[in-house]
Amino acid sequence: MTDAMTPGPTSEDPVLAATGSVPNGPGEPPALDATHHASALLRVSDVRKVYGEGHTEVVAVADATMAVDQGEFVALLGPSGSGKTTLISIVGGLLSPSGGTVTLGGSDVTGLSKKDLTAFRAERVGFVFQSANLVPFLTARENLLYVASLVKGTSRAQAQARADGLLEELGLGARAKNLPEQLSGGERQRVAIGRALMNDPDLVLVDEPTAALDTAMGRQVVELLRREIKGRGKTGIMVTHDLRMVEYTDRVFEILDGHLTHVEEPSALRH
Amino acid sequence: MNLGAAEVRRAKLRFGLLTAAVSLLVFLVLLLTTLSNALIGSLTGALDALQADGLVYSTTARDNIVASRLDPATAQAVAAVPGVAAVGSVGTFTSRATTAGTTTDLQVFGFQPDAPGAPGGLSDGRLPAAPGEAAVGGGGVAIGDTVTLEPTGIPLTVVGLLRGAQFNALPTAYVDLATYEEAISAANPGLPFVPVNAVAFDVDDGADATSVAASVAGAVQGATGYTREQAVALIPGISSISQSFGILVGLTFIIGIVVIGFFFLILTVQKLRSFTLLRAIGAPTRSLAATVALQITLVVLAASVIAVGLTLLAVQGLNTGLPVSLSPVLIAGTVAAVLAFSLLAGLLSIRRIARIDPATAVGAR
Ligand SMILES: Nc1ncnc2c1ncn2[C@@H]1O[C@H](COP(=O)(O)OP(=O)(O)OP(=O)(O)O)[C@@H](O)[C@H]1O
Ligand SMILES: [Mg+2]
Repeated sequence: MTDAMTPGPTSEDPVLAATGSVPNGPGEPPALDATHHASALLRVSDVRKVYGEGHTEVVAVADATMAVDQGEFVALLGPSGSGKTTLISIVGGLLSPSGGTVTLGGSDVTGLSKKDLTAFRAERVGFVFQSANLVPFLTARENLLYVASLVKGTSRAQAQARADGLLEELGLGARAKNLPEQLSGGERQRVAIGRALMNDPDLVLVDEPTAALDTAMGRQVVELLRREIKGRGKTGIMVTHDLRMVEYTDRVFEILDGHLTHVEEPSALRH
Repeated sequence: MNLGAAEVRRAKLRFGLLTAAVSLLVFLVLLLTTLSNALIGSLTGALDALQADGLVYSTTARDNIVASRLDPATAQAVAAVPGVAAVGSVGTFTSRATTAGTTTDLQVFGFQPDAPGAPGGLSDGRLPAAPGEAAVGGGGVAIGDTVTLEPTGIPLTVVGLLRGAQFNALPTAYVDLATYEEAISAANPGLPFVPVNAVAFDVDDGADATSVAASVAGAVQGATGYTREQAVALIPGISSISQSFGILVGLTFIIGIVVIGFFFLILTVQKLRSFTLLRAIGAPTRSLAATVALQITLVVLAASVIAVGLTLLAVQGLNTGLPVSLSPVLIAGTVAAVLAFSLLAGLLSIRRIARIDPATAVGAR
């Protein structure tokens, strides 16, 4: 981690506490316009991503500007190919934008070197991907422990205690020694959530966590995500195109053909 | 959390098979090297272990001790060459010989005790000191046995055993020069004198054997001098035999290394999804590369232990009639070379890992 990467405000931050911007359920005080979030932990400014060149040029993200507060769990909604995955990949330091900046807790993510981006992803971001989330030859517990080994200075005992605590919390205490192939889809997604939270990241990014699950299981997983993200004061972004999952989030951003629109409240989309 | 070790634990069968395959390759390299060393040793051992700084042959022999014929008086002429400290005549011939009812071919060397040209590599007993005594390398004889030269019927009593002193890949008996002369005269009645094959010489302290050997040709009519090393290297066919075995061992080694490299490349490609995921969640390329390197090391070391065991069994089980021995230096060197080059071949896998774009882990793509 470079010196420039100072930690963002924590949940004990007096400013955040005073403004009450750590909501704990849908229907929280509506957020202001994204660009006016003064204490926003995550800031995305004029981000643009163009794939390819000339004839094959695809503008995946045209112009994205958004801000998400610490403790907020927001949804990123849009049809297939609208640029959702591209946008959260840029936010999580997996992809560099063609233009614009992403800052987390005041430090510029887009300016980081490849090496620093790797450390950034290990230490400050927790990803839950749509599929292929776990290493198949590691048990549930080992999948969590491996992540801890990516951060220098984490003691073994500390990591083990944290992994066991997380698995317990996610209802996986009895499944800790199972390999991913021995787990159900929902259990696998829960392990992935534990994996994402393992290093106590500032940012949790979730790409269609329910795509492979039935509705009941999907609800359970998203509910759990919400509880973990809000309970731990993380900043969470969940990509989805399932409108029913939106009720678990604080706000909804909608993206269409790479253009980001901002919807104040999830209920506005529900009919 | 050690990724490499965890995978080996979970995929015991796969890594077991891989280890077995690698161990067979290492075994092949070890066995080929050992056998070729034994064969070459049995062809050159006599001259290699000879207690002398150099040898003199007749010029007409074209560097071949067997074809060389020298007047016994040549020894005095060689002794007079500046830089020569001591000389001894050496004679050799191939004969049939009978031991305890079985007849085999036997190479016989006659030498002068207490002069240059005595054999080296005494492993038991003593060197012959009187006519009728012999020290023998190879052939499975024991001290006290009697070896009878055919058809002359001259009996030799075995008083010493030698290791690494064979010639022509035959059992080789060393006798004193008088016994040699007796055998030659008995087989060739009417010879005016018994020629010797070579004159072995030692050089003065501080004298250079190479230049002394080179000066023999000018000083002694019809004779050519060689250092012991030159004489060994000039044994007919030895350089092409060494070269052929070198190519054989080298090719086996290279094939083995390439196979190991590809094995691990396949394992890496199979794991690309996991590696991409790990890169995406912040694993540095370096740590994934270390995983592959660790696995290669584990597999090669385990395979080497098995291969050394197999080689030991093979050396004991195969009776090639050659004095085969396993050299720890050879084993350690081979294992170290296999490991080093396997890790080099592992760079194929590491290059593949380095090319991973972590962004491709996201979504369903
Ligand atoms: N590596 C790439 N090279 C070229 N074009 C790409 C690449 N990745 C994505 N795209 C294009 O960019 C656009 C946005 O892709 P993205 O994956 O972000 O969409 P998405 O909203 O996540 O879609 P889905 O809901 O289907 O996952 C699409 O038109 C896609 O074809
Ligand atoms: Mg997507």
